[in-house]
Amino acid sequence: MKRILILFFTLLAFASLAIAASEIKLDVKEHVLSNGMKILMLQKPGVPRVVCHIYFKVGSINEKPGITGLAHIHEHMMFKGTEMMGVTDPAKDQAIDKQIDEVMDKIYREKYWNADGGDKAKLAELQKQADALIASEKPYIIKDDLWSLYMKNGGTGLNASTGNENTGYYVTLPSNKVELQMLLESDRMLHAYFREFYSEKDVIMEERRLSENQPNYFFSEQVNAAFYAASPYHWDVIGWMDDLRKVTKADLIEFHTKYYVPNNCVAIYVGDFNPQNIIQMAEKYFGRVPKGPDVEPVRTYEPPQYSEKRIYGEGPAATSLQMMFHAPQTGHPDAAPLSVLASILGGGGGGMRGFGPDGEASIAGSPVIVGQRGGGFGGGGGTGRLNKILVQEKQLAVSASASSRAQWYVGSFDFRATPRVDKNVQPEDLEKEIWAEMEKIKKEGATADEIQKAKNRSEAQFIRSLASASGLAGSIGRAELNRGWRSISADLDSLKKVTNDDIKRVAAKYFVKDNSLTAIYKRKMGR
Amino acid sequence: MKKTITLILAIGIVFMATGLGQVQKPSDLKYPPMTYNPPDPAAFRTTFANGLRGYIQEDKNLPLFNISALINFGGLYVPTGKTGLDSVMSGTLIRGGTKTKEGTAIEERIDFLGGSLNFNVGERTSTLSLSVLSKDLDEGLGIFFDVLLNPEFREAPLNLAKARLVEQLRQANDSPSGVLSREYERLLYGNHPLTWQPTKKTYDGIAAADLKAVHARYFFPKNIILAASGDFNKAELKAKIDKYVANWKNKDLKFPSISRQFPQPDPGVYFIQKAINQGYINIGHLGLEDTNPDYFAVQVMNFILGGGSFSSRITMKVRSNEGLSYNQGSRFGYRWGFPGQFSGYVQTKSSTVGYAISLIENEFNRIRKEPVTDPEMETAINYYLESFSSSFESAQGTMSTFANLEMTGKPMDYYKTYRDKIKTVTKAKVQEVANKYIQPDKLVIMIVGDWDPCNKGGDQWPGPLDKLGKVHRINLKDPLTGEEIR
Repeated sequence: MKRILILFFTLLAFASLAIAASEIKLDVKEHVLSNGMKILMLQKPGVPRVVCHIYFKVGSINEKPGITGLAHIHEHMMFKGTEMMGVTDPAKDQAIDKQIDEVMDKIYREKYWNADGGDKAKLAELQKQADALIASEKPYIIKDDLWSLYMKNGGTGLNASTGNENTGYYVTLPSNKVELQMLLESDRMLHAYFREFYSEKDVIMEERRLSENQPNYFFSEQVNAAFYAASPYHWDVIGWMDDLRKVTKADLIEFHTKYYVPNNCVAIYVGDFNPQNIIQMAEKYFGRVPKGPDVEPVRTYEPPQYSEKRIYGEGPAATSLQMMFHAPQTGHPDAAPLSVLASILGGGGGGMRGFGPDGEASIAGSPVIVGQRGGGFGGGGGTGRLNKILVQEKQLAVSASASSRAQWYVGSFDFRATPRVDKNVQPEDLEKEIWAEMEKIKKEGATADEIQKAKNRSEAQFIRSLASASGLAGSIGRAELNRGWRSISADLDSLKKVTNDDIKRVAAKYFVKDNSLTAIYKRKMGR
Repeated sequence: MKKTITLILAIGIVFMATGLGQVQKPSDLKYPPMTYNPPDPAAFRTTFANGLRGYIQEDKNLPLFNISALINFGGLYVPTGKTGLDSVMSGTLIRGGTKTKEGTAIEERIDFLGGSLNFNVGERTSTLSLSVLSKDLDEGLGIFFDVLLNPEFREAPLNLAKARLVEQLRQANDSPSGVLSREYERLLYGNHPLTWQPTKKTYDGIAAADLKAVHARYFFPKNIILAASGDFNKAELKAKIDKYVANWKNKDLKFPSISRQFPQPDPGVYFIQKAINQGYINIGHLGLEDTNPDYFAVQVMNFILGGGSFSSRITMKVRSNEGLSYNQGSRFGYRWGFPGQFSGYVQTKSSTVGYAISLIENEFNRIRKEPVTDPEMETAINYYLESFSSSFESAQGTMSTFANLEMTGKPMDYYKTYRDKIKTVTKAKVQEVANKYIQPDKLVIMIVGDWDPCNKGGDQWPGPLDKLGKVHRINLKDPLTGEEIR
């Protein structure tokens, strides 16, 4: 009775989570502006705050050789002000900024278009001019104006991040201040002005160096590049260092014009608010942004491999084994059985796709660490079959896990294991063990208990995910840009239907040598 | 009924807020007034059988049940010669099984239910936490208390845990940030239980009997505070918990006395060689305890100095203005019963290590010499006031926060009075605490990086590094043996 009462009241208040007897549904409210921008809302009772996120359907897969890392650079540059924000006199500032671009363009041509690195004296002279102009612009710049304004108004969770597929801008505000987000975000969609482009590239190169100094980064970056030969998942979100150096302001503006249009994004609000209020404000602020041309999806998928790939490395990090298999993209009928299989083999790391996509780079906080690539379905070990056999019973590994990553255009199924160096176990020994387990799955599949456990875990994980407002905003917003937010529940339903025959079928289909890359890394001290 | 009235009021506010015309700049925005009162710990506090305490909140929004036990036991209380026992215990309290169940059976069952059960030993407190669907509350609760009361630390999982910890030791010098934080702490606190590191030998020397002895000594009702939230009836949950702890005996516990004397390291540069392309840098000295009445003023001061992300001076100077780094700032860390660490920090390419350090030192000096500006004060104070409610977003988080307050002996009206204490901080007070808690003559500068290019410097700040103070080169220890690497 109490449940029914609560249900009644929550419906009355347009609540987000309608609790039925045995199942929970996402009750997302939608509103589409005439320029194509979608506004999603999910009410969540609790403290008087609203998680406000905007996701653009653009990431590193929309780049191409020469401009790798640009989606992420662009995300940083969105914090560099507009005509309204971050500047005391926009007209004067704009004039100087234009001159800076002209001089820097000359520097880039001299330095990067000549194989010998250009005329040193000429470059020094141009650099002097650039430095003087940059110094003369500083008095007009109000540093980090947008960030300070959000903080002054109680903004938390302030950040932005770029992944392979999308870019998000985040703030959580007191419920009475959502209008500030609408004003500032629509303003930077309309009037982003990319001041301090060149020093910000320096910041991003430092961000890349931070990743480089993590154990195993370089090897991991090469493994990823070797696995994806053709698709734009080939390069990391952070981009190649050469491209970070040489990418231009003109590249940036072209990128912004193409992708930062209202018909290529979604805004999502989760928390304590009234939806009518959000809709009215969205019409007022985001409604003023003109619609742009449609954006073409990514063209290049990953072609079949036709032969096994192997990559070896050594350096100052832990000895390890990684095995990768090409797998289908999200929404493909094989994605659900593969995720159940990952949970069975890898167990202990969560059933549903986590919120923060892996390999993501952000404006603040920890930089992307590619050595920790992973996540997706499956995970760290626990009660998974590999952990039981390799870590507990045979004591050959320190850890052994499996994960399934269905991305928007391509997917992968990964095994990772760290051998017991104290017992002189080699990565190749673990490789044999994992292949033996794969062959067993092909023949026998999994036990009914294992399959049920994987399903229970996914369902519980889904319910638990509803507790976090910012997590919800992330998963709903990102899902919307790909296959619609309803795909979250649809994927869960597909998982529940997976049978042992499905598991045997996908194991036989994907766990074949010609579809694989095996990466073996051994510790060598003395870097 | 109350909800309906709230709804009508809310709609009223909507029309007031949005009926106006297009706003051109942020200062034109008018926000509807809003008040927020934090939850009162007394409303959730519960006492169970044998003096077990807890903070319990019904939360019917989702069919979940969360419970954690905060135990007053941590690495600091580990007996001499048993360094690393805390990590071994973290890895075996659950996996080592109970009197009646194997650890693998426990993990398997929790996983089958889609739940999670974790145990972690911290510096002075340990936490056992469980999360299950509310339909599995009874079974989950049974496992939770079985693990809490009857751990067995069986031989096989114990050996496995130790082998894995030894593998972790092998990796302990791999990450520059890990090396920096460990060695910086060692420099500031000296040879003290807070900084003792395990080796293969100390791990090898830890037996099930040691773990059982620690459990027998520290795990009893009056030394534990629970935090629970979720879809349950509070009275029913209390009755269930009372049953589990009815026969759990309290002990007479005298905590080991730990020295509060720390050495004063020589000011100057402490350099650790690693062939990487950046310097990882900490600059600072010991800070204060969060029970210090100056705590609130120090928070505001540090927000302006380097704690307030892009709103802070160090980020603006070092990152936004000069493009020297991605990650930089300053922090005052806190630990229960001991002064925390104060540090400015940055990671920057080798050639700008000296320059970045000089910019951070300038900011240390500036905030001591000059009053901060009115806009800086406004941003800092308003941030703390306006973001206050975010501390209570999760019911379980709030209950754990209250359990922590009580465990560490802080006043239970801490949150009730928090905003008032922030509001009273003045510009003069900010300058006063900057002078008191930032001491340029005591600064140590620790760098993990590649010596030659760091020492050489660059155009803006040519080396050598001894311009910053006397240079001490530190040889790392082999984490497996604890012997210095030559």
